[in-house]
Amino acid sequence: MPKIAIDSVEYEVPEGRTILQVLDDLGLLGNGVEVPHYCWHPKLSVDGSCRLCQVEIEGVPKLQIACNTPVANGMKVHTKSDRVIAARRGVMELLLINHPLDCPICDQAGECKLQDHAFDWGVPAARTTEPRRPAKKAVDLGPTIVFDQERCILCRRCVRFCREIPKTGELGVVNRGDESLLELFPGSELDNPYSMNVADICPVGALTTRDFRFKIRVWFTDDVESVCNQCSRGCNILASRSNNKVYRFLPRRNDAVNDTWICDHGRMSYKKNSTGRLTAPRADGREASYTDAVKRAGELVRAALDAKGKIVGVASPFASNADLAAFRDLLAALGAGPARFSVPRGESDAILIEAEKAPNAAGCRALGMVESNEQLGRADLALVLGHTLTAEVFGDVRNIVLIDTHESALSARATVALPARTFLEKSGAFTNSRGLVQSFSAVVEPTIEAWSESDALAQIAAAAGIA
Amino acid sequence: MKNYLSEHYGDDSFQTLAGYEAKGGFAGLRKALAQTPEQVVEIVKASGLRGRGGAGFATGLKWSFMPKTNERMKVIVVNGDESEPGSFKDRMIMERGPFEVLEGIIIGAWAMGAQRAYIYVRGEYTRAIRTLEAAVKELYGKKRLGKSTFGVKGFDLDIVVHSGAGAYICGEETGLLESLEGKKGQPRKKPPFPAQHGAFGLPTTVNNIETFAHVPFILDRGVEWFKSRGTEKSPGTTLFGVSGHVERPGLFELPLGTPLREVLGHAGGVRGGRRLKGVMPGGLSMPVLPPSELEVPMAEEFLSQRGTHLGTGGVMVMDESVCMVRVATVVSYFFRDESCGQCTQCREGTAWVHKLCQKIERGRASDADLALLSDVPKLMEGQTICAFADAAAWPIQGLLRHFRDDFEAHLREQKCPFPESFEL
Ligand SMILES: Cc1cc2nc3c(=O)[nH]c(=O)nc-3n(C[C@H](O)[C@H](O)[C@H](O)COP(=O)(O)O)c2cc1C
Ligand code: SF4
Ligand code: SF4
Ligand code: SF4
Ligand code: FES
Repeated sequence: MPKIAIDSVEYEVPEGRTILQVLDDLGLLGNGVEVPHYCWHPKLSVDGSCRLCQVEIEGVPKLQIACNTPVANGMKVHTKSDRVIAARRGVMELLLINHPLDCPICDQAGECKLQDHAFDWGVPAARTTEPRRPAKKAVDLGPTIVFDQERCILCRRCVRFCREIPKTGELGVVNRGDESLLELFPGSELDNPYSMNVADICPVGALTTRDFRFKIRVWFTDDVESVCNQCSRGCNILASRSNNKVYRFLPRRNDAVNDTWICDHGRMSYKKNSTGRLTAPRADGREASYTDAVKRAGELVRAALDAKGKIVGVASPFASNADLAAFRDLLAALGAGPARFSVPRGESDAILIEAEKAPNAAGCRALGMVESNEQLGRADLALVLGHTLTAEVFGDVRNIVLIDTHESALSARATVALPARTFLEKSGAFTNSRGLVQSFSAVVEPTIEAWSESDALAQIAAAAGIA
Repeated sequence: MKNYLSEHYGDDSFQTLAGYEAKGGFAGLRKALAQTPEQVVEIVKASGLRGRGGAGFATGLKWSFMPKTNERMKVIVVNGDESEPGSFKDRMIMERGPFEVLEGIIIGAWAMGAQRAYIYVRGEYTRAIRTLEAAVKELYGKKRLGKSTFGVKGFDLDIVVHSGAGAYICGEETGLLESLEGKKGQPRKKPPFPAQHGAFGLPTTVNNIETFAHVPFILDRGVEWFKSRGTEKSPGTTLFGVSGHVERPGLFELPLGTPLREVLGHAGGVRGGRRLKGVMPGGLSMPVLPPSELEVPMAEEFLSQRGTHLGTGGVMVMDESVCMVRVATVVSYFFRDESCGQCTQCREGTAWVHKLCQKIERGRASDADLALLSDVPKLMEGQTICAFADAAAWPIQGLLRHFRDDFEAHLREQKCPFPESFEL
């Protein structure tokens, strides 16, 4: 492995990588070593056009771009020399002659790379008095993305994203020189299942999502690590929250799962936390307090046990491993067979989206649960977590105790229905399609009385007098 | 002035295969085919031939960068884009001496093991394109191209004439490759270099039209003969294209190192007995020389000592009537318009420089604007994907270096003090 020195500190680095990749591999980028960059993105091809990442290499007369210079044994790189800083200042000054200084009204303020780097390397006062380039405002590129052209610094990250990840190629740069413009391919619009990632990778406020735009200033939010629950990929996400509310999901980098992307469907699923929820407990068709509903559920369990009736368990591939394990243990204590579960299925693609539309089918399988969509048949009591089976499957079941997050045909039919916390309202872990166990932590508090499935099960067991 | 390259220019039969052979054509190729490819590369190296496309890189050395193995097809790309304003030599060579170019290409293909050559010609050069196409067709007709080129078993060379669409940046070698592949003409970052990953991803060598045209003569008449012309570091002749305020603009084939005064003399000197104001020695991107430099030998090693370059040998002459601020405005307009727009420094810098020139030219500028005009080109130089940003910065720096008075006069008088200068 080649040895290189960065600012006189030696590192052993993998071969065949560029300086910027190596810094990224070592976790040094923005974390001890500062090599500002716009066009480079760890998951896209190298463009080498913004020219911000220039570094000085001993023995090489000209400054070189770190994003396209392969490391070589003995290379001595300087990222803080006067020449490097002067070059950065030059790039920043040139970028700012046409970029509007509208940070106060720009939705990217607070997470804009131009703002950040201007703070570090910018000129104190503009030396140009020329009018800035006129451009189109708030252009809809498609159903999800809005484009403010005057802020675009032509890094072409969005262009490369569309060409290289979804491979749809909706975007391109037309014209030359300072008339270069980001444009849609004639007759197309930016509408692919991953379109909203372009807003994440746009280093400035040129591309924003229609969903999040002008909702809240990012400095009022904080980001909590979580895992998307919309398919078995388990993309790593950040949930931006403020005032006990989730405002958006962002991809969180995990090279083993989702690189740095998420699909639009997963991104927008944050809304599911606040819509269609099962908000109040019900018992025998009437709203009840949580305590009363738990009591009624306990009675049903006790009665079924005493009558040596048949008890079946139905698990949910949306439940966390801890909740599933608690369910398995309770069913064992009740002398019931292993829980069954069913996974909703849909389309998959070669990028991220998996056919299994639930985050924890692998967890269900690992805990010995049995996958089935068959009729449950005759039973005295079904204990049900979640909502992945249609109500018809329960045709011959006398009583249903349901612990669930959302309203469904089944919640209307259940003898007892107890609201559960969504994954955003509790901590836990999912096992994804590749067997990776990924934990998540609570992002918000529930606004209704709701418990995790394991807590609700424990309460029911106690009410039924089971140790 | 004629010399070996242009000896038969004007004789129309020289553009036909029969006429070319009657004048001794293909003697160089025959001598090349009698040697190994490695030997041919060594001869070109020993000749000291430097590329005539503007950068002056050693041709033999460039040829030696090509991979020696034959795992992948190797490609020669011939740069006939000739997009540097002030240059028109390649056009003349293509129109008058097409077989010289083709012979040079075939020798290059033999030396580098190339199986295909693309001649990329500026789209506006319709006559050059027709002439080259006719010449290529004649060679195919005589079965001297394609399978067993010139009867040599295992030497299979195809030549394709490709018409560009007229963009300066498509003359830059990697911008040209993108354009050749049917994409937007914008230079590629390096590495990878063309010798590893060039046209269509294949190992590629790009050389200028004139560069190839010299090669047959070197092979035929020998390294010593070639080196007896020109200077030690820049052997051979070149076609100086003299334009602007001279009595007889035109092309003159002269040895490299010919003093500028003599080059101008061949063009009849400055028109109407006026005084010389400045000369751009190698096309629009090369810094201007003041009249005090008239004795400079026209070869890179001497010109670079004076802060300029030989470029393409397109000598642009300006007499005393010319306003150098106007020149700067026109030059900066050209570069602003032709920048491909990828690199921050070039995209933003060329436009800024042009706006400043315009402002000064119109007499609306302040001292601060003039200070900026000296500064902004410095931000652009030496930091971009291709040398275009340098090419845009240099002429402005040259004009300011030698003609600062003109700029200051505009600030002082708040108008152009040269009423007889060309119109904008
Ligand atoms: C902006 C720009 C424009 C260029 N235009 C041309 C051109 O029109 N013709 C040419 O032969 N070389 C041109 N060049 C130089 C080529 O990139 C390259 O150096 C040359 O074709 C190599 O050939 P040579 O080694 O035989 O000179 C240009 C370079 C730049 C930076
Ligand atoms: S819109 Fe954003 S990502 Fe796309 S080229 Fe412009 S600055 Fe880059
Ligand atoms: S691919 Fe699956 S896990 Fe990833 S964001 Fe989309 S729905 Fe969520
Ligand atoms: S220097 Fe200018 S012309 Fe060359 S690649 Fe960069 S932007 Fe394009
Ligand atoms: S990040 Fe290297 S040139 Fe843009």
